[in-house]
Amino acid sequence: MIDFDYVRATDLASATRAGATPSTRFVAGGTNLIDLMKLNVERPAHVVDINDLTRVDPSLAEISDLPGGGLRIGGLARMRDVAWDDRVRERYPVVSQSLLLAASGQLRNMASIGGNVLQRTRCPYFRDTAMPCNKREPGSGCSALVGINRTEAILGTSEHCIATYPGDLGVALVALGASVQVHTPSGSVRSLPFASLHVVPGAHPDRENVLHAGELITAIDLPALPAAKRSHYLKIRDRASYAFALASAAVAVELEGRTIRDARVGLGGIATKPWRSHEAERALIGKPATEATFRAAADAALAGARPRKANAFKVTLAKRTLVRALTEVTA
Amino acid sequence: MVVGAGDEAPDFELAAPGAARRLSDFRGSPVVLAFHGAHWDPARAEHIEMYNRLIASLGGVAGARLLQIGGGGPWRELRFADDAVALPIFSPSDASTAARYGVGDEPAVFVIDAGGIVRWSQIGPLSLANPTEIARAISVVAEPFVNAPNEESVARREAGSSWTRRDFVATTLAAAFALALRPVEAKAQRMAALGKTTASPSARAVTLNINGHDLDLQLEPRVTLLDALREYAGLTGSKKGCDHGQCGACTVHIDGRRELSCLTFAVMQEGHRITTIEGLANGDQLHPMQQAFITHDGFQCGYCTSGQIMSAVAVLDESWGPADDDVREAMSGNICRCGAYPGIVAAVQEVRRTQASNGGGQRR
Repeated sequence: MIDFDYVRATDLASATRAGATPSTRFVAGGTNLIDLMKLNVERPAHVVDINDLTRVDPSLAEISDLPGGGLRIGGLARMRDVAWDDRVRERYPVVSQSLLLAASGQLRNMASIGGNVLQRTRCPYFRDTAMPCNKREPGSGCSALVGINRTEAILGTSEHCIATYPGDLGVALVALGASVQVHTPSGSVRSLPFASLHVVPGAHPDRENVLHAGELITAIDLPALPAAKRSHYLKIRDRASYAFALASAAVAVELEGRTIRDARVGLGGIATKPWRSHEAERALIGKPATEATFRAAADAALAGARPRKANAFKVTLAKRTLVRALTEVTA
Repeated sequence: MVVGAGDEAPDFELAAPGAARRLSDFRGSPVVLAFHGAHWDPARAEHIEMYNRLIASLGGVAGARLLQIGGGGPWRELRFADDAVALPIFSPSDASTAARYGVGDEPAVFVIDAGGIVRWSQIGPLSLANPTEIARAISVVAEPFVNAPNEESVARREAGSSWTRRDFVATTLAAAFALALRPVEAKAQRMAALGKTTASPSARAVTLNINGHDLDLQLEPRVTLLDALREYAGLTGSKKGCDHGQCGACTVHIDGRRELSCLTFAVMQEGHRITTIEGLANGDQLHPMQQAFITHDGFQCGYCTSGQIMSAVAVLDESWGPADDDVREAMSGNICRCGAYPGIVAAVQEVRRTQASNGGGQRR
């Protein structure tokens, strides 16, 4: 690992100012950054430890009620604490489930919510500095297009990158229509929809989100959403636990009798960013909660899929994952 | 006159059987001198226990547990859990030697550096109240004087000798220091010396609280907690499996929660309580989870075991359900290549049930 300068930030203003310095990374849990630093994929000259920010402002790691029935999750809250929180489990089961199905007990104790949603892809070519990768080294090419691409994305891809967004929580957040609180180096706070935080690779796969240098996620807001109480996260992977998704579905459904009054659909493991399927939602809302409806929604969700040689199975797998998730949540 | 730090150690002749030497003959090597009163036998159990408390106090055990002091005559063999050393026992030819150091009938310890200067001393019962200060004092003199037995020493041992009223020894205490220092301070000392020659500008003083003791290290920010434990603190119980957070072998407790020491920098852990597998047992009494892993055969090769046990102990403080499948899910971050999972699940379940029947709340 390349040596770096380490500082502990004591307040948000100094943290974001330090973060705006070129070649700087924030560290909270460190579970993604340090892994990538060992691989020389990340080579920051400065690392700003933001864990002490909670001493000045404990709310950065807390979960609190928002006016109107939503929940605010501090950016420095740990995955474990959010996953087991009674309010989250009661009001947003899909959030709790997505967290508990992610990573391992140890990693969930470490990883922050802000860092979790910004985690980098697990694409093997991104993680291997000996191989071309447009995300890691713009212009070097994409090895996954014709290489080992079983785990790569089928939605939101481009000719420059097909790397899968690996997270689970982000899939739940995009389905719920969460928003992100961002503290900027100028001292202002801006709010943006979670769905706008990540961007598809297009011609610039190195750019994964809309945050500017030094900007820090201080909280994620879950909206009051009637459908959230009946929500579910289903994750399909190569082994029963502690693996990234091959396909996953975050669903929230509000029923009126057996008619679907509202539906939210997020898809994971198959897209280049946390993927919300408005197409699937349109195919669900107003329809009866039947397998035929769910299949139609799944077909709509995957209609734009662009599979490659080894990941074509994900089209079928993702459809079945969504159908099963909807079946279970409406049972 | 009382001899203290900064003073030249008074020279004197050591009546080692068969080979008279002077203290000054040991210039070039640090020496730990210990005085003790009458009827003092280093092999007595309470002394062994005292050494072990001292070792533990000096920086986190490192498996350097003194089990037994054997041998006779001018030599004592000190058996540790993972090592053994032999030490010469010298008798002073001049009964007034102790007085020249300002020592009466009480125990006393002097740490003398390679130049013959006293760097630290304590007269009176050895206090363990401030082990960090002791460790810091001793750290300035690198490795203490420890002789390995050779043919000559064996011959001397066979010649035999009896204890005098006031034996003057470079003794078990030195070994206690040596063993405490070798994995911890001496390693840090070597790293510091290395740091001087390679001039690492980013190394900084980092104090880690490990198993209840503060340890001062010089670390670059890029040193992970796992590497700090294994390579700088000499605590090799935490294992490096994948070094990428995928296997769980490096699991430790930070402020009571299980975390992966390979995916955090040591500098990030200043101010936090770190517990490693070395800090789990209470002296010779294994933690119930350690005992349960033995009872249920929860391992084969053992490499993942310390991580499994640290994880398992913490799992019982988390919100998991009671089923075997809950244990499997909770423990999925610890991979066992030997496949000892049935025994691991059985061990965790036994401890969980025992705790539940005892009203919960486990010892930490």
